[in-house]
Amino acid sequence: MSPRTQRAIGFVAFACFVAFVAVLPAFVSDFKAREYAYVAIFLIALLGLNVLTGYTGQISLGHGAFMAIGGYTTAILMAGNEQFGGPISGGLKDVWTLPIAGLVAGLVGLAFGLPALRLSGLYLALATFAIAVAMPSTVKRFEEWTGGGTGIQVFATPELTGSITNVHVLGRTLTPNDWMYYLSWSIALVAFAVAWLILRGRTGRAFRAVRDSETAAVSSGVSLARYKTLAFGVSAAYAGVAGGLFVIASAFVNPDTFPVALSIFLLVGIVVGGLGGLSGLVFGAIFVYYLPLWSQGQDLGSLLPDRIVEETQKPGGPAIVYGIVLILLMFVLPNGVGGLFRRAGQLLGRRRYSPRK
Amino acid sequence: MRLRSTLAAAAVALAVAAPLALAGSSSDPGVTSTSILLGGTSPLTGPAASYASVARGAKAYFDSINAKGGVAKRKIDYDIVDDAYNPAQTVQGVRRLVEQDKVFAVFNTLGTESNLAIRDYLNQMKVPQLFAASGATTWGRDAAKYPWTIGFQPSYAAEGFVYGRYVAQNMKKAKVAVLFQNDDYGKDLLGALKSGLGRSGSKVVAAEPYQVTSPDVGSQIAKLKASGANVLAIFATPTFAIQAYVFANRLGWKPKVIVNGVSGTSNIMVLASEGGKNKVVEGSITTNVLKDPTDPRWKNDAGMKLYRSLLAKYSKGANVNDVYHVYGMAVGYETVGLLRRLGADPTRAGLMKAARSMNDPKNPFLLPGVVVKTGSGDNFPVQQGRLQRWTKGRWVPFGGLWQSKRN
Amino acid sequence: MILAAFSDFMQQVVSGLASGGIYALLALALVIIHRSTGVINFAQGEMATLSTYIAWALIAHHGWRYGPAFVATLAVSFVGGVGIHRVVIRPVERGSVLRIVIVTIGLLVAINGFVIWEWGGEPQQLQSPFGTDTYTIGGVVVAAHDIGTIVVALGIVFLLWALFQFTKVGLALRAAAVNPEEARLVGVRVSWMLALGWGLAALLGAVAGMLTAPTVGLDPNMMAAVLIYSFAAAVLGGIDSPLGAVVGGLLIGVLLNMLSYLSQYGIFDWFTEELRLPMALLVILGVLLVRPQGMFGQPEVKRV
Repeated sequence: MSPRTQRAIGFVAFACFVAFVAVLPAFVSDFKAREYAYVAIFLIALLGLNVLTGYTGQISLGHGAFMAIGGYTTAILMAGNEQFGGPISGGLKDVWTLPIAGLVAGLVGLAFGLPALRLSGLYLALATFAIAVAMPSTVKRFEEWTGGGTGIQVFATPELTGSITNVHVLGRTLTPNDWMYYLSWSIALVAFAVAWLILRGRTGRAFRAVRDSETAAVSSGVSLARYKTLAFGVSAAYAGVAGGLFVIASAFVNPDTFPVALSIFLLVGIVVGGLGGLSGLVFGAIFVYYLPLWSQGQDLGSLLPDRIVEETQKPGGPAIVYGIVLILLMFVLPNGVGGLFRRAGQLLGRRRYSPRK
Repeated sequence: MRLRSTLAAAAVALAVAAPLALAGSSSDPGVTSTSILLGGTSPLTGPAASYASVARGAKAYFDSINAKGGVAKRKIDYDIVDDAYNPAQTVQGVRRLVEQDKVFAVFNTLGTESNLAIRDYLNQMKVPQLFAASGATTWGRDAAKYPWTIGFQPSYAAEGFVYGRYVAQNMKKAKVAVLFQNDDYGKDLLGALKSGLGRSGSKVVAAEPYQVTSPDVGSQIAKLKASGANVLAIFATPTFAIQAYVFANRLGWKPKVIVNGVSGTSNIMVLASEGGKNKVVEGSITTNVLKDPTDPRWKNDAGMKLYRSLLAKYSKGANVNDVYHVYGMAVGYETVGLLRRLGADPTRAGLMKAARSMNDPKNPFLLPGVVVKTGSGDNFPVQQGRLQRWTKGRWVPFGGLWQSKRN
Repeated sequence: MILAAFSDFMQQVVSGLASGGIYALLALALVIIHRSTGVINFAQGEMATLSTYIAWALIAHHGWRYGPAFVATLAVSFVGGVGIHRVVIRPVERGSVLRIVIVTIGLLVAINGFVIWEWGGEPQQLQSPFGTDTYTIGGVVVAAHDIGTIVVALGIVFLLWALFQFTKVGLALRAAAVNPEEARLVGVRVSWMLALGWGLAALLGAVAGMLTAPTVGLDPNMMAAVLIYSFAAAVLGGIDSPLGAVVGGLLIGVLLNMLSYLSQYGIFDWFTEELRLPMALLVILGVLLVRPQGMFGQPEVKRV
C-alpha cells in the first residue's frame, strides 16, 4: 500500500470512529455513557504518556502526579481554596478550567523534563516513580491550597459544572452522564488528532530518532534537550487535561484520587495499547478502566462460574486476578493491541502477495 | 455473580408475575417482589483490606436471614464493591451501584473520606447513605443538611472526650503524651481528648503525628518519652498501635497507656504483649461497644454463640476472632430491623424515617445495656460504650456504661 | 539538662539507625537483583512479605521452632525466586525494559492480593531471633534486635563481597549481567545465572522481611512502606553496591530523624511529618541527577 492509500484509510477509519462515538449513547444505558466518559479520560492520559514513552522512549511511572496537578488546578479554580485559608476564590466554570489545567501541568512537565535529561531507562522510571509516591504527602503538606487529606468537594458549586445537573447545550438537554460523555470524548478526539499531527511531522520524526538512538539523533542535528523536554511538556499537558476531567467527573478530589497505582496502570495501558501507535490506545484505555472491575467479577457474572466469582470477592481476590492478567498479557501481547493490528495487517498483506504453492 | 443471577431470576419472576407486579404499588428502585438490593464499597484490596471484615460480617448476617426466608418474603442482597480505600473509586463504585445496579440504599460504606466523597451525590439523588462506617462527627451533626445520611458507631470525638474525662477524674496532674495518625481520625481524637481534660490539672505535654506511609513510629515514641509524660495515648490504626507498645517497651518507658477502640481489640493487645514479655500493655485503658469474640465472658452468651455459628456457616475461613466481623453483624442486625419495620412496601424515604427513629436495646452483638437509639434531634445511633482495662491477658470492664451527650 | 538533651538527641540517632538497618536489608536485595540481572524489581518488597508470612505460618500454625522455620523459609524463598525467574521473567527478558517493569508490578499486585487472601489483612507478630533485650548506655537505649539487624546487614555485605570477588559463580553472575552475549561465548549459562540472581535476591528479601516484622509488625503491606525508603537507600549508596546499600539505608534513617528532631527546635522548621516520605524521594532525585552512580558505585560507561 502506498502511504497515500494508507493515510486515506486512516482518515476513513477515524471518521467512522467519530461517528460511532457520536451515536453510541443512544444505544447504551445512561450509566454506561458515564463509564465510557472515564475511558475517554484515560485515553487522553494515555495519548500523552505514549508521546513520552512510546515515541520518545522515556519511561514515566509518575504520570498520575501530572494528572493530580491538572485535577487540583481544576478543583481549585472551581471551588476555590479560601475555605482552607488559601488565596484563590474560584468560581470558574468547569470547561474553562481544563485549558489552564493542561497549561499548568505542561509547564511543570517542562520543568521536570530538564533534570530528566540526565536520566534514562530504569533510572528515569525510578525518578518518576518517586514523584508519584511523593505527590499525596506533598499535597497534604500544603493544606491551605489543597484542603489537605479531606480534599475539595466540587459538589459545593453545582452551578459551575454539568456533571451534577442536566445541561442545556446546542438546544438540547443532556443528562449529566451524557454531558460527561460528550465533553470527554470531544476532547479525547481533538487530543487524538493533535497527537497525530504532532507525531507525523518533523517533531514526531525527531522524537522517534531520540528513542531509537540518541547518538544517531544528535549526529543528524536533533537537539536532545529540546525534544526530550518538549515531549515531557506535551505529555504532562495531556495528563493535566485528563486529570481535570477526572475531577469534574468525580466532583471530588483528595490526595488518594491519584494514587501511585494509577501511574502504574497508565503505563500498563500504553503497553497494552501498543507503544508507538495511537489507535490501539483506545483498547489500553478500556483496559485501564475495566480491568479492576472485571477482576472482581463485575459485568462478567454470567460468564464465570459462581464459585470463582465468590473467591474474587474475598479480600485480596481481585488483586490476584489483576496481577496475573497483567503478567499473562505481557506474555501473549508483547506489542500490545496496536502490535496485534500491525501484525494482522502484515499477515493480510503477505498473503495477498505470497506465491501460490 | 450472585447479583447477576439474582437479577436474572428476578427478571424471569417479574415476567411471569408481571400482571401481579403491576397491580402492586410502585416501589423504589432495588425492590422486587422477591428481593431487596443493598450495596456499598469496602476495601477488598490495598492497605486497608483488613477492614473488609466489616462488610463480610454484615453479608454473613444477611445470608442467615435469607436462609430463613428473608424480610417480608424478600431476600436481602448486599453487593460489595471494592474501592481499594480510594475515595475516587468509591465515587465510581457508588454511582455504579445507584445508576446501573439500582440499589435500594447504599449501606455500610467504609471510611471517612470515602463517605464524604459520596455524601453530596447521594443526598441529591435521594438515595439513603445508611450506616456510614466511620466515626466522624459530621454524620450525626449535619443530619439537617444531609437528611439521607446516617452513621452508626460512636464518634471519635465522643471517644476521645471519654478518655480525657477519665484522666481528669482519676489521675492528678497527669502529663499526657499522644501518638496520633496525621489525618481527621487522629486529630478528632486528639482534640476531644484535650477538651475532655478541660481545666483539670492534667494536660497534654507532647503530641507526635505519624503518616500512614511511614514504616515505623520509633522516632515518635522516643520523642514522646523524652517529654517526661506519664500517660501515653495511642490514637492509631492497629499496626502502628502494636509498634507503639513495642517501641515503648524497648525504650524501657512504662507509661499508663490509653489506646483507641479501633486498635484496642483483644487480638491486637495479645500481639502487642509479645508473648507476655511486653509489660507496657498491662493496665491499658480503652473503650468499646462491641462484644469481643475472644473474651471468655461471652463464651455462653447467646449473641456471640449466634455470631460464631453464622460466621462459620456463611463466611467460611473468616477469622472468628476478628472483631470487625462483629461490627458488621451489628449493623446487619439493625438494618434487618429497619427493613422489618418498613413492612411489605419499603421505600427509601421510609427507610430514612425509620433510621431516624430507632430504639433497639437488644442488639445481640453490642454490649449489654447499649441502646441503638435515634430521634428527636439525636442522629447518632450508638453513643454509649464502656471503659475497660487490660488485665492479665484480657479486657476487664469497669465503671458503668458511659453515655455521650455531646458527640 | 544538657546531658538529657544530648541523650534525647542520641536516642533519635539510634532510632534512625534502627530504621535504617531495615531499609538497608531490603535495599541489599534490590542491589543484588540489579547487579546480577540489571532489573529493578518492584515486587521485591512483596516477595519479602510473602516469605515472612511463610515463616510465621510455620511457627504459628504448624508449631515449628524459630530456627528450622527460618532455614526452611530461606530455602523456600530461594527456590521461589528461581521459580519466578524461570516462569514469569524469562519469557519477557529479551523484550523492552517496560515489559519487565510491568511483569514485576503484576507480581507485586498478585502477591499482595494472595497474602491478604490466604492470611487476612490483620496484623500478626513474628518474634525476633535476637530476643527483646535492651541495653542502656549513657541514658540511650539500644535494642538487641536493632544491633542484630545491622550486624546481619554488614555480614551479608561481606558474604556478597566474597561471593563476587572470590568464587567462579560470582564471576559468572557478574559476567551474565554485564555482558550476556560475551558471557555465553565463554561458556557461562547465562539464563541460569539470572535465575540464581533472582533466587539470591528472594533469599535476602526473606532475611529482610523476617528481621523487619518484629519491629514494624507483620501485615500484608509491611514492606510496601519500607520499599520506597530502600529504593532511596540503594540509589544513595549506588544501586550496584552492597556496602552502599547499607550505608545509604543507615544515613537515610538518621537523616530523616534528624530533620524531624531539629524541626522541634526551630531549625528546619518547614519540616513536618508529611514531608518524611517526600524527603526520601528527594534524595533519590538529587542523587540520580548529581551522581547517578551513588556514593559507592562505579560510573556507568556508555557505549556507542
